[in-house]
Amino acid sequence: MEASLTSYLALGAFLFCIGLYGALTKKNAVIVLLCIELMLNAANINLVAFNKFSVSVTQDLTGQIFSLFNIAIAAAEAAVAVAILIALYRARATSNMYEINELKD
Amino acid sequence: MESMFTPYAWLIPILPLLAFVVLLVLGKTNKTFGISFSIAAIFASFVLSLLIFWERLADNASNYVWDGWNWLEIGSFQISLGFEINNLNAMMLVIVTVVSLLVHIYSVGYMHDDERKTTFFSYIALFTFSMLGLVIAENIVQLFIFWELVGVCSFLLVGFWYFKPEAKAAAKKAFIVTRVGDLGFFIAILLLFTYLPEPSLSFTYISQVFTTDLVNQIPDHIQFWIALLIFVGAIGKSGQFPLHTWLPDAMEGPTPISALIHAATMVAAGVYLVARTYDVFLAAPGALEAVAIIGAFTAIFAAIIGVTQNDIKRVLAYSTVSQLGYMMMALGFGTKLALAAAMFHLLTHAFFKALLFLGAGSVIHSLHEQDIQKMGGAGRYMKVTTITFAIGALALSGIFPLSGFWSKDAILVEALHYQVIFFLVGSLAALFTAFYMTRLFCLVFLGEHKGKHKPHESPISMTLPLVVLAVLAVVAGFVYTPFIPWLATWLTGEEVGDHLSWTVIFVSSGAALAGIILGWLFYGKKAISADKVAASIPWLYKLSFNKFYIDELYQVAVVKPLKVVSYLLDRFDEYVVDGAVRLTAGATVWLGGVASRLQNGQIQLYVLVTIFGFIIFVLALIGRRFW
Amino acid sequence: MWSAGFIVFFVLSLLTIAGALFMISLNRVVHMVLALSLSFISIAGLYILLDAEFLAFVQVLIYAGAISILMIFGIMMTKHSEEETEEPKKPWQNVLTAVGVIGFFGIIMYAIQSTTIVTEKKDFTQIDTVKEIGMAIFQKHVIPFELISLLLTVALIGAIILAKREEE
Repeated sequence: MEASLTSYLALGAFLFCIGLYGALTKKNAVIVLLCIELMLNAANINLVAFNKFSVSVTQDLTGQIFSLFNIAIAAAEAAVAVAILIALYRARATSNMYEINELKD
Repeated sequence: MESMFTPYAWLIPILPLLAFVVLLVLGKTNKTFGISFSIAAIFASFVLSLLIFWERLADNASNYVWDGWNWLEIGSFQISLGFEINNLNAMMLVIVTVVSLLVHIYSVGYMHDDERKTTFFSYIALFTFSMLGLVIAENIVQLFIFWELVGVCSFLLVGFWYFKPEAKAAAKKAFIVTRVGDLGFFIAILLLFTYLPEPSLSFTYISQVFTTDLVNQIPDHIQFWIALLIFVGAIGKSGQFPLHTWLPDAMEGPTPISALIHAATMVAAGVYLVARTYDVFLAAPGALEAVAIIGAFTAIFAAIIGVTQNDIKRVLAYSTVSQLGYMMMALGFGTKLALAAAMFHLLTHAFFKALLFLGAGSVIHSLHEQDIQKMGGAGRYMKVTTITFAIGALALSGIFPLSGFWSKDAILVEALHYQVIFFLVGSLAALFTAFYMTRLFCLVFLGEHKGKHKPHESPISMTLPLVVLAVLAVVAGFVYTPFIPWLATWLTGEEVGDHLSWTVIFVSSGAALAGIILGWLFYGKKAISADKVAASIPWLYKLSFNKFYIDELYQVAVVKPLKVVSYLLDRFDEYVVDGAVRLTAGATVWLGGVASRLQNGQIQLYVLVTIFGFIIFVLALIGRRFW
Repeated sequence: MWSAGFIVFFVLSLLTIAGALFMISLNRVVHMVLALSLSFISIAGLYILLDAEFLAFVQVLIYAGAISILMIFGIMMTKHSEEETEEPKKPWQNVLTAVGVIGFFGIIMYAIQSTTIVTEKKDFTQIDTVKEIGMAIFQKHVIPFELISLLLTVALIGAIILAKREEE
């Protein structure tokens, strides 16, 4: 029995859902960010797996490059998000998601 | 003859309206100017009415109709606002403007110390406008509008001293009771609208339909109902039995109002309405009979009540009801001559009843008292009032040669020609009328002075109208005597034959004299004790004193059940209707609360909702595959 | 019989999932970051399994290295009492989220299962993937690459400005 495309996709879906659950329930903003990173990783797994298994004429690596860009953007996003968190923490003295409800007003 | 002033008849009601607007704008500032202006305006109206009347005196003056202002258009149906001048309403115009002018002048003295006198003057200006508009209305809808307007003015004026609870209640009663009649009138208009062959409601057309073969297009019973319902409107306005109860109560208003509205003009509007639509009545003999019977009954019924009342104005009010009954009875005879007689009585009654009310007002103004049992001896102090009041009382009683004699005579002649029973009832009512007027006069003006206030004569502004009206009350009768029936010819356009009836003259004079002598014996000379007579027939006295318990009957038969029903409806409204409203509101608030709890500003919850939305969306998409 | 590759896949995915589950169930924040690092490294292993050595390398460098360190910095710069040990304030929200996420997972699995994808297992061992990626980035995808560099620069400057203490 070989690891098929479906196995990787299922793995990706599962990781994505765990990340989603964490992002929606965790109180700590840093953990929420981590969960979002996990979701990005799940997507990357899918991309690489498609790159490996999909039918194509040439040996092209577009899927991997796509993932590469994803990782770069994720890194940028993580940097900005942590910066926002720190600024927010400085302003409100909290990183508790429940207390961040500016959208209410 | 070329009519010179008639096309300007619309100015007659407009001038008081202008006065009303000016008074309204001025408010409480510049009282003297406002009042002078309104008197000037009504004087101008009066002059114009006289001129128009003078024009109408010419033989064969044709009716003038102007309906150029198209007010409402429904399909082919049109209602225009305009005016019509014919002999009948030219006469009404003069009556209304004369009485209104005199009441205006009188009110200057009577309302002198009242803080809200400009309001008072603005109300009577508005009333005069409405009444004149009613008189010259060109179609029945327009008449109805003004009909309601005079009702509103009556309401405002009866309740003018709104801080008195009686005045408030009387105003409400006057309005509501007349509304009952107005409803009938309105239904009559709707019936006319439905059944008239052509879509028009102008008086000209109505009269044309009901005097020609066109009337056969309307079923007989509908003709009857139209006439009867118009009469129901007249019953309400003219205080006929059984809707008369509001009129005595309306005496809570200022006395000039009682003279203007509740004696001379507005209450006569009912009579005028019947006269105006007389062709409709002529086509429905059944309705005419009802008019005659109700009129006759009211005449005697109110006269009996008048005998025992102790409030000076209430006696006069019942007298008014009784005299209006006279006019209605005459109208019910169904001849052109009877119509002329009724209108003649309307004319003379307007003068002498306004005179009596204004005289009563003068007494009240001087004595600050309305109960005649507590009055007496006013004659020594108030010469002008006493003499003019006496003239008015004699005219009302029907003593030769005052106006009341001639008009009553004209009606009784018609009654004799119609049915003897009406003649007897009329004579009996005349006897009672003479009796209670004598009683009133004796108690108020003769005997010893009882009050603390020393009576004084009223100012010239009040006595002048009295004198003018007294003169009118004397001479107005000569326009229509059995010897020279000028008014009848002029009004009906027919030559009047010999209507002299010595029987009538003797009987009516006899009744009046008998009434006066009886009254004199009871109250002047005190030869017969009124209390003893009352004690000998206690039931009759009680019945009369309590106005035949009509108010109490209404209280039990109408007001109480209505109150029960409205109480139930109120409960229904409160618990069922309001409950539904509250339920809706509550549900909305609850939903809003739930929704606002969703809007707690936390992105995590928002995303969760988004996921659920996504799931539902996808499930719907997938689900569609299987259906 | 299971092939060696499948066993490796199985173990690695087990590690990934275990890391993720630990991340959402542990109480202390630092432990969570460590658990997630385990996931990231296991994912790097999966990349190797998929013949993407360069990506695996980048994954270890950036995720397991840079981002995890960044997060630990973030944690250290904000104060964290023992709040994670408290009962969650809104249990119903957690339950609802669980229901929603499971539904979502079900939908995705349904989509994966019901989609037929023609697959072909390509062999990248003959080629030098690092070289190929480099060639592709600098030839075919040079504009996105430059844009990414711009984005990273902007993000860097933005992060500094945001996190900088405001001068008064």
